[in-house]
This record gives sequence, C-alpha cells and structure tokens, in this order.
Amino acid sequence: MDNSAKHLLQRLVRRIPVSMLKSTLDKWERLTAEKRKSLDFTQSKWIITQELVALYITENPNQGMWHTFQLVEPEDDAHSVELMQFKELFKSHLRELQRNVSVKIKKHTDQAVWIRVAWGDGLSSPNHLKATYVVLYLQTPYVFVNALSSKHKPLLLQALTLSTRHQQIKAANLSGQKLTALRDLLMRQYQQVKLRVEKVQAEASANRHRMARETFGDGMLPALQSAVFKLETKFKGPTNEAMTQRDEPFICSVKFSSSNLLESLRHCASSGIASTPVTPMLSSIPLKGRNYFVITDNVLTA
Amino acid sequence: KCFLPPGVLSHLSLLEVQARSRGSQVPQQPSRVKELKAKVEALTSQRDQLKAEAPVDKQRVDGEDEEMDVDSESSELFHLMARHSELMDLLHAHNLIGGYDAITTNRGKSMCFSLATQYEGVYLDTYNLELNLKPNVRISRHNIPPFIPLNSLAEQSDLQTDVRAFLATVSQHLNAFAGRRQQLKLVKEQHKSVEVMESNLLCSILVLMFTVPKKTPLLCTLEYTDHTRCLPTQVHLNCEDELLPDSPKWKKNCSLLMEVPVHRALTAIKKASDII
Repeated sequence: MDNSAKHLLQRLVRRIPVSMLKSTLDKWERLTAEKRKSLDFTQSKWIITQELVALYITENPNQGMWHTFQLVEPEDDAHSVELMQFKELFKSHLRELQRNVSVKIKKHTDQAVWIRVAWGDGLSSPNHLKATYVVLYLQTPYVFVNALSSKHKPLLLQALTLSTRHQQIKAANLSGQKLTALRDLLMRQYQQVKLRVEKVQAEASANRHRMARETFGDGMLPALQSAVFKLETKFKGPTNEAMTQRDEPFICSVKFSSSNLLESLRHCASSGIASTPVTPMLSSIPLKGRNYFVITDNVLTA
Repeated sequence: KCFLPPGVLSHLSLLEVQARSRGSQVPQQPSRVKELKAKVEALTSQRDQLKAEAPVDKQRVDGEDEEMDVDSESSELFHLMARHSELMDLLHAHNLIGGYDAITTNRGKSMCFSLATQYEGVYLDTYNLELNLKPNVRISRHNIPPFIPLNSLAEQSDLQTDVRAFLATVSQHLNAFAGRRQQLKLVKEQHKSVEVMESNLLCSILVLMFTVPKKTPLLCTLEYTDHTRCLPTQVHLNCEDELLPDSPKWKKNCSLLMEVPVHRALTAIKKASDII
C-alpha cells in the first residue's frame, strides 16, 4: 500500500462516524469475518487506521519491495528458540537500541512470524503508517524485510540477530515485490530437481527439456520478477578499440524482468534460446536463491 | 603333336603326383560314389514314407509350434516380470536396511541420493540431495527444507572421506522431523478435543491445551531438543491449579509423554479419563 493510499484510508476512516465504522467495513467485504472480529472499535480512529493498514499489508504481501537477509553463525541454542522467547528477546533488544518504538509480533497459521515496527525518534511518537514489516520463520535462516530506512537498518538487524540467537546477519541478495515468490524460492517449496533415472534421449530437444526442468524445476515456479547482474568486467569488443584499451572495468548492469522470470528462463532453455546445459549465471538464481549478482572478470561473486 | 595350353602339362603331372601319393584311396572312389548314391536313395524313400504318415498330424504339429511360440513369448514375458519384481523386492529390501536410491548425474561428475522418510510403517516425503564429486565433494542441488541445518551437518561429518556418515545423519534428521510432523498430524486428526496452541516448522516444539474433567485448562509444552529423535526431551505442564501438575497421576502422564509418541500417549491419557 503506497503512502497516498494510506493517507486516503486515514482520511476516510476519520470521516466515517465511529458508530458507522463497523457496519461500513462489513459492507466493504474486503476483510474476512475473522479479521473484522479482531478489530477493536473502541480504540481511537488513528489506531483503527493503523490496524487496517497492517491487516491490508499482511493480506497483500506481494507489494512494495522485500529484501532478504540471512542469519548466519547460529549459537548452540538457536534451534530451540520458540515464539514467546523470540518475542520477548526481540522487543527488549530493539527497545534497548531505540527507545521510541512500537512493536507488534504475530504468528500466522503457516508458521510465518510477522513483525511490525513503527519507529519514533526522541521527539515524535512512532509512525505507524511508515512501519517496517519483517517476516521470518523460526528455525530457518531467512528474514524478509519491507520498508526499512537506512537509518533504522542496523538497529533492526542487530535486534533480529540477537533474538534469534545468531552471531551475524548478511544480505542474501534476493529481493522482489512478491514475498510469496521469494519465500517459495528459499523454502524450496516448489517441485524441484526431478532426479530419477532417465534414459539418455537421442533427441536434442528432449535433452533441452530435461536440462531445463532439472535446472529450474517442474510445474509452477515461484513468481520471481527480476534478476540483476552487475558487470564489472573489462570491455571486450573487436570494433571498439578505445574501450578495449581501457584498463578500468566496464561497469554495466543487466536486469531481467518478467511476470515470472524462472518460467521464462526455463522456457528459454527448453526451446533452445538459451544454450544448455544452462549457464551457471542463470542456474545460480534457483540454485542459490538469489537475484542479485556481481560479475567480475574471474568469478561470479557477491 | 598336341596343342595344349601352357601350364596344362605341369598341372597334369601335378595331378599324377597327387594320385600316386594318395595311394590306394583313389581306386575306391567309384565304389564310394556308388555307396553314397545308394544311401541317398534309402534316405529319400524313408523321408517319403514319413511324409506319407505325417499329413494328419501336420496341423497339430504346426499348431503346437504356434502354441510353443506363444508360450515361449509369454514365458519370456513372465520371466521378465519375475525378474522385475525380484529386482523391486531387492530395491525395497535395500531401502529398508538403510540404503538410498542413488544415481550418477552430470556425466558422472555428481551423484544424486534419494532419502526416503517413513514413520510407523508409512512412507512419507522423499528428499533428494545431489553432491558434486569433482574437484571435491560439495552439496549441489537439493530439496531439503532450510530448517534442517544441512551445511552444519556437512561440516560435522567429513564430506570428503565419509559421505555415508553424512547421508546417515541427514537421513536421521529428516526421518525424525517427518516422524514428529506425522505425530502432530495424527494428534490433530485423532484428538479434536486437544487444541494445538503452538508448533513450529521443525516440529521441535508443541504446545497443547488439554481440558481436565473438572473443566480446568491444562497447558502442556513438549520440547523436542534432540532433532534426531521423535520423542520429546522435556515436558512442562502449566495449570491454574498449581497442585495438578505435581499430582502422581500427572507425573505419570508426563513420563508417558516422554516415552510414547504423543498421539498414542493422548489416547491412553484419555482412556484413563485424565483429560476430555
């Protein structure tokens, strides 16, 4: 939900008389009955607006830009962290780092832990309309973050690291609009690697199909929407001497976009547009669960 | 005078020499021919005789030939089927004694292992793990969920020298996880009066809400800290009635929950009317 939509919602809620608010939302039918029941209409309109925005975002997670982080170096007890313990640790660690924060943590039925952090500074109260959202699954190393400013980033990451009992957290080089796609890619929730003995097919096209499926997976693929390759390599071109003679690397960024990038790439491989076996540059996307790569002259890194 | 082509004379003298060296055999040839001719005649008449006796049975003979062909085809088929089922049994036995289906992939440069999981005789999910073998052993593709700490397990067992030990550990973790998850599923199916308050992806924690006959809710927390096992390592009870968890009855129930899979423990506890 972008800022203008949030403000619109805020103004709407302010306009609607409290007595009519519940019935209006019932008529609106955008929220499930269960969610409507969870709203407390005795609270101030401001709080109700915030809750509505939060509900909207959790129901529509495939918006904005989600960035993935990976927790590394688990402590001995990292694997036995349970929800209550995590909640307490996270809240206390974050409050130690920044006094004026409002934290709401809730676990969804699919085991996803949703955290909403509203940041305030010394002077103003926490801003719930510009809240940061975090989604993580306990006992897995991946954390998905939305709407985190660079100012608050170190604070949030530290609180996450400590409360999940890890020593470090790093960027996982996987971002996108669709939280579900990122999550499915990392949780390997899709039909991957069909590893059964298959007869060597003489036909080239059957081979291509097989290799495409082996690399990218079978059936429905997570709807990853983009991949970025940042090239820092020396320019190589027979026609442009001036560029070729330069010592500095030629910096260029290549972005692939699609409504479902993995499916597009799979199709490229199976139809022969992309050569098979699939180049590691492309196969690294599903294999390593990343969509941001830096390519230098010798090696595919970052 | 003779007009013989060149070389004929030498050929004739060669024949003469050969005839002389063969000695006494040569003169016998004409009688030998006679002998053979007589034999041919005898065999021919015998054949004709047999042919004359045969026609009635000709059909049956041909028919038998056909049946035998079908038989031999179907016996070949049966033979293949028997061989197939023998191999399947062998494979099944191999799996049962802890073997994994393994194939080489990537032109021999990698190996892919299928790790099956089962619990109480029911086959559950199968996971696949591919290892690159050259230049050194490394984990390649797999569909093992991220809450199984594959990388740290690889670090613990030496992948380069003991792939079997590594696979055994991974299989152990996967089977234990599958077992715990299956128990949770059975609890939800078989014990609707018990509310599952909390669990997690790894199924290493389970918080259940019991209703004790006098309508007191009892919170039971099962912690499975040993991820290679299907049974809890700790059981905690929380109740408004602080004396209840310490009662001998519930102390016994706690031990039961540590020794027996949760779904079966609950059946026993229900039977004893300790919970609704």
